[in-house]
Amino acid sequence: MEQHSNETDFKRDILIYFTIIAMTGLIVGISHLQLGVRGIFLIVPIACIEASILAYYFMHLMSKKKTVHLVLLLTVIVFINLLFWPAWDVVYSPRTPSEFTKY
Amino acid sequence: MQQDHTEEFIPYIVEARPDTGLYNAKFGIWLFLASEVMLFGSLFSAYILLRVGSFSWPVQSEIQNVLIGAINSVVLLTSSIFFIQAWVALKADDIPKYKRFMALVITFAFIFLILKGVEYYQHFSHGEFPKTSVFLGLYFLMTGLHALHIIGGILVNIYYIGPGMYLRSINKQWFINRVEVAGLYWHFVDLVWIFLFSTLYLL
Repeated sequence: MEQHSNETDFKRDILIYFTIIAMTGLIVGISHLQLGVRGIFLIVPIACIEASILAYYFMHLMSKKKTVHLVLLLTVIVFINLLFWPAWDVVYSPRTPSEFTKY
Repeated sequence: MQQDHTEEFIPYIVEARPDTGLYNAKFGIWLFLASEVMLFGSLFSAYILLRVGSFSWPVQSEIQNVLIGAINSVVLLTSSIFFIQAWVALKADDIPKYKRFMALVITFAFIFLILKGVEYYQHFSHGEFPKTSVFLGLYFLMTGLHALHIIGGILVNIYYIGPGMYLRSINKQWFINRVEVAGLYWHFVDLVWIFLFSTLYLL
């Protein structure tokens, strides 16, 4: 938050604030279109952009040191593994969905 | 004012370490937030796998109160803006303004919890409990865990406008840094809600 000391930063933060609110409104609107599975491919990326904007500006990732970026990179790698290995198990295991839900 | 000798015993509580470029608390909070990503990440992973593996899944927007969820998004985001303003006021040494904005952050956090409580009440009154379905089990687990994080944040924020302010009399910058770290946590809680709202209410 080092750079939040002048009027320009305040105006930028307000702009970011309304942008994120507008994007929230957009994903709510998309959800009402009843797009089914296709909606996922619209809503999830928009939510990711929203979260990225928040992290970038409010959490000041834009001005953070390399150390923070390294910590976050490691987190992302581990997180992707966290998603990938169970997904791999679901796709390639001989279990049927009904068997899967037993566990 | 008390003499500040703390920096002599614990290095880098105010100044940034030359190797990391961060002071201790900031480095610590980023490691903590990384572990939080893992915690919530594992739950999102469970959600995806259980949903993919299920024969049927409810239309979430039909059983959820999307309006309250959306209002809660705005409430949390507004509290984030107030937190930034509180931190700016603290840096400018404007303590009354800092306290005012922190009080607003806490108030908005309570509004969030009250609205969440209303949602839970609506679910319970419709006979929807965590045991009712896989989706509801995940919904109550994930939003409940998030609400616990909000409660934790409220306690920290109350501490920093109350007894925690003693730190300011020892070292002003130390206190400013602590509030900054609390702010990072608060923004992260807001960030998690963005994903919870889109995943559990809209998909």
